[in-house]
This record gives sequence, structure tokens and C-alpha cells, in this order.
Amino acid sequence: MNELLTAKKLLVRVASALVVLAAVMFVCSLIGTRNVPLKAVFVPVRLPRVILAAIVGAALACSGVVFQALLRNPLADPYILGISSGAGLGAIIAVISGFSWTLWGRSPIAVFAFAGALGTVWLVWFIGRVTGKSHVTGLLLAGVVVNAFFSALIMFLTSVAKSQQVYATIFWLMGNMTEEDFLVLWLGAGCVAAGMLMLFYISPQLNAISFGEDDARSMGVNTARTRTIAFAVAALITAVAVSLSGLIGFVGLVVPHAVRLVFGPDHRQLLPLSGIVGAIFLVAADTLARIIVAPAQLPVGVVTAIVGGPFFLVLLVKHTHKVGWLSK
Amino acid sequence: MSIIEVSHLSFGYPVGPRFATGRKTETHVEVLRDLSFEVMAGTFLVIAGPNGAGKTTLLNLLCGSLAPKSGSIRIDTAAIESYSTEALAAKVAVVRQEFVPVFGFSVIEMAMMARTPYYGQMGFESKDDRDIVNEALEATDTSQFASRTLASLSGGERQRVFIARALAQSTAILLLDEPTSFLDLKHQVGIYDLLKRMQLEKGKTIVAITHDINLAAQYADVTLLLGADGSYQYGRTKDVFSTEQIEKVFGVRTFSGKVGQEKFFIPLGKFAKDSAQINGKPDSSRQK
Repeated sequence: MNELLTAKKLLVRVASALVVLAAVMFVCSLIGTRNVPLKAVFVPVRLPRVILAAIVGAALACSGVVFQALLRNPLADPYILGISSGAGLGAIIAVISGFSWTLWGRSPIAVFAFAGALGTVWLVWFIGRVTGKSHVTGLLLAGVVVNAFFSALIMFLTSVAKSQQVYATIFWLMGNMTEEDFLVLWLGAGCVAAGMLMLFYISPQLNAISFGEDDARSMGVNTARTRTIAFAVAALITAVAVSLSGLIGFVGLVVPHAVRLVFGPDHRQLLPLSGIVGAIFLVAADTLARIIVAPAQLPVGVVTAIVGGPFFLVLLVKHTHKVGWLSK
Repeated sequence: MSIIEVSHLSFGYPVGPRFATGRKTETHVEVLRDLSFEVMAGTFLVIAGPNGAGKTTLLNLLCGSLAPKSGSIRIDTAAIESYSTEALAAKVAVVRQEFVPVFGFSVIEMAMMARTPYYGQMGFESKDDRDIVNEALEATDTSQFASRTLASLSGGERQRVFIARALAQSTAILLLDEPTSFLDLKHQVGIYDLLKRMQLEKGKTIVAITHDINLAAQYADVTLLLGADGSYQYGRTKDVFSTEQIEKVFGVRTFSGKVGQEKFFIPLGKFAKDSAQINGKPDSSRQK
């Protein structure tokens, strides 16, 4: 941390992280409680799910980084601006209305969740703009209130729904992975990878924005453009992740902090490394979720919090002297 | 040559958002009214005045963070609104009042951010950028803690780091908003010495907001004294500051005395021990 980041250092670190990711994905594809022939492991059964976990983990961790930087708030996570409740509302509406069509192999739950997520972010963003262009407090408050309001709607709908529907919804809200078509995976992976590239492209500007928008502007950073791109891309990849897997908590909050504690706050490095670490973390967590209570399966959100919480606290205690926002 | 040219500048803050008041036109609280002045390149300007007189507002107008309601600002002979964010950052650097960021960036990482507009395609600085930043750290005597985090520094050290970042922008103009508030005597003088050196050695134009009339009297070539009622005084520092003028603008009586060539002011409160004596004969030094 003592010297400046160089392109070479960054490349070496990202490449090694990618190697670790590939290894973890390979090993996790082999682990399972059902006996499947080796060939079948990779193609139809486990690999698609492992890939899905990697995509979702990367998306959530990256958008966590972005929201923490833009809102200058270490408590921010991908869901802070209401994406979770919007998606949840969309999902439960889809469940209750009992649609049975599919779109590109996706159930109506996913489609409605995606639309709900993006709609909510747009609403919060719009309210935030009215309350003040460069003040994040208005945006944060709008997010919190919209979240609370939609959560109330979700609870209302769950209490009037049939028990079968309630079960499906709650499972979704806890975050859940299922085996997916390759087409869906490619679409998701494409969106998330493109989003991450775009975010990396504006990462030097995100560094400057960490010091406040006025400061960043006087350093020559076009803050309006950076902010819009960052918000839009982060919201989009979060919505993709949420519609693929439901609400998986913890990854988007904790992975960015863990990476920052170990490697420092420079977003040029923080973004790609958080993406990869988020992918590794979720692949491992989902593998645990598959085998711990086999033949049943745990929702992966349970595992991320149970495993991730203590792990993060250890990191926090060990590295806290290095960062400015906790120790004075 | 004048590097900053302000003419007939007015600015007001809107009262409440438009939809909340229900009116078609926004109402404004006027802060600056018909302000005109010119700053020659390479001078040290101090902006003084009571709270709410619009000092920080003026600074935000000069760096393009705010847009004037009427009137114009020209930086280096071109209208300020004709600059892009990037181009303006190559002319004007700003040190705002102290701000502690959320994340643990190190001193050199932060100083390097001043070079963000010049990063290469991959988002990394060039050798030149490194040299410029190192030079700025040397000039502000902050290179010995280049790798420490901002939060681990004292107030005076941190202020020097923010000045280093502004220097690393390699601009002709340096704007500072109360660079010495919260600092002890030694560091106050240290910061002003540093700014004066930048003016004399590098020919930078320094514009600093301050509440410290005596430091201003020592270091500034010209002074802009803003009154809370929209009035202002602009001129050579020794012409602008006088007991009468200070009493008029700040509403506070001062005792003024001379040490060598420099004039100094001591504010007098109602309960000042010698206030009865001195109040009878203001500016008593003249009688000696």
C-alpha cells in the first residue's frame, strides 16, 4: 500500500485472482452430494450453477464498491437505493398473478424483479435529483423511505397471498440459486462483464469523487457524467444479479470492505479485485449451501451471512489500523 | 495583465425549491451585489469579511462550482463559462475547508488525483505526473509522510497535503478557503509562508479567504473586504484595513498599532481590560 499502484502490479494481481477463481470454480463443480458422471458434472448439472454464482457475486461486489464511493458511505451496499424492495415487489406480484409464460427461458418472477429493480432505482434517482443535485443525503433518504414503503407493500401482499405463493416468495427473497440455461448465463455474464469494464474505465474518477463532488470537479473530473454512468451501470448489473438469483445479502457490503482492508482504497484495483473476490466468495458459499443440509438445499443468502460475517470481523480487527475511516 | 476579472457580479441563493414555494420564479437571498474587481497575475489577494458576507460563495463562483446570476467572470481573459471542467482545472486549483474522506487513501495517492485528467488510456499516471506530484510534496514539506493515510495526520500536516494536491494541478491560480482555521500559530504562519513562497518563486496568483486580518496585513498585496450588506472595499491591503473600516464592516472596535512598517489590529470586546482607556482614543499609536 505504501507505493502507488502501477499497471503492472494491477495486472499481476488481477491475473492471480482470476487463476484462484478458476480453481475454485473447478473444485466446486466436482463437489456435490449426488453422484453424477464426470462428463455430466460440467455440462448440464453443476457448472452452470457455479458460473451463475460467479456472475452474481461479481456483479454485487462491484456495485457495492460503486455505491460506497458515490454515496461516500461505508454502510452503502447494492440494495441501499431500494433495488431490493423494488425487485421483491416485482417478484411477489409475479408470483401472486400466477403467470406461466417465460421470456428467454426466464420465469415471470425474474422479469418482474428486473423491471421492479430498475423502476425503483429510477424513482429514487429522480427524487434525489429534485432534492439537490450534488447532495447524497437526499438520495440516501429517498432510498431508505422507498425501501421501507415497498417492504410494507411486500408484507401486505404476503399476508393476503396463499401459503404456497408465500413460500415461493420467501425463498426468493432469501436469495437462491438454481440451474440455468446457458443462454441466460451468457446474457448475464455479458452484461456484468461489460458493466465491470465500463466501471473500470471511470475508476480514476471514482477515486476523486471519494473526496466530494466539488473537490473532484475542481480537480478536473466531469462529475455529472461519472456519477450518471456509475449509478446506471451499478444499478443495471445489480438488477441483472437480483433477477437471476433473488436477494443475496452481504456480498455487496462485505466483499468491497474486505478487499479495501487488504489492498487499499484505490478504485482502479478495488473494482476488478472486488468483482473476482465476490465471485469466489459466492461460488464457495453456494457450494456449501448445496451440500450442508443435503438432499435439501439452503438459500445461499443464509450461508453468505453466516460464513461471511465472522470472516469479515476477523479482517476488520486485523487490518483496521491501516484505514482512516475507523481509527483516528 | 489581469488574470481574474470580475465585473458587475451578482449572486443569490434560491429560497427553497421551485415546486415547494409554488411560484413560477425562484426568490433569491442576495449574497453578492454588483461586485467588480481585477486581480493581476502573480499577486496575493486576501478575501476578508464577516460570516455570511459571501466569501465562500465568491470562491465557488471563481472556480466554476456556482454560476453567476448576473455579471461576468473572466479567467485568463476568457469567460469562465467557456471553460470545460478539465480546462478550468488546468487554470484554477482549490483548497476547500478541511474535509476528511471516508476511505483510507494515502497522502501520495490523494495528491496524485490532481493529475486525473492527464491519466493515460489505461487510467494510470505518466512519469511527468509523478515528477510533478513529488515536486509538490517537496514544496509543501509533506514527502516524508507520503505513504501515510490522511486520517493519521495532524490538522496542519493535512492542510499542507491539500495544498500539495492543489499545487500538483500546476495551475496559475490557487484559491484557498480559510487555509489556517483550526491551526495553531506556528502552522498558521507556516501555511502563509508557503503560499507567499509559491507566489514569489512560481509566480502563482494566490486568492485566500481568511478571518485573520493581521496575517492578511502581513502577506497580502491586495485585499477584498466584503461587507454583510453587499458593500465591498477593494485595494492595496494597507489602504483597505483601518480601524474605521473594520468597525464598519465587522461591527467590532479595534486597537491598531504599528510594528515597524506593518500595521496590526487587536479587536476589543466590551469587557476588554483596558477597553475604557483605549476606547476614548482610538488609534492611540499615532499620538506617540
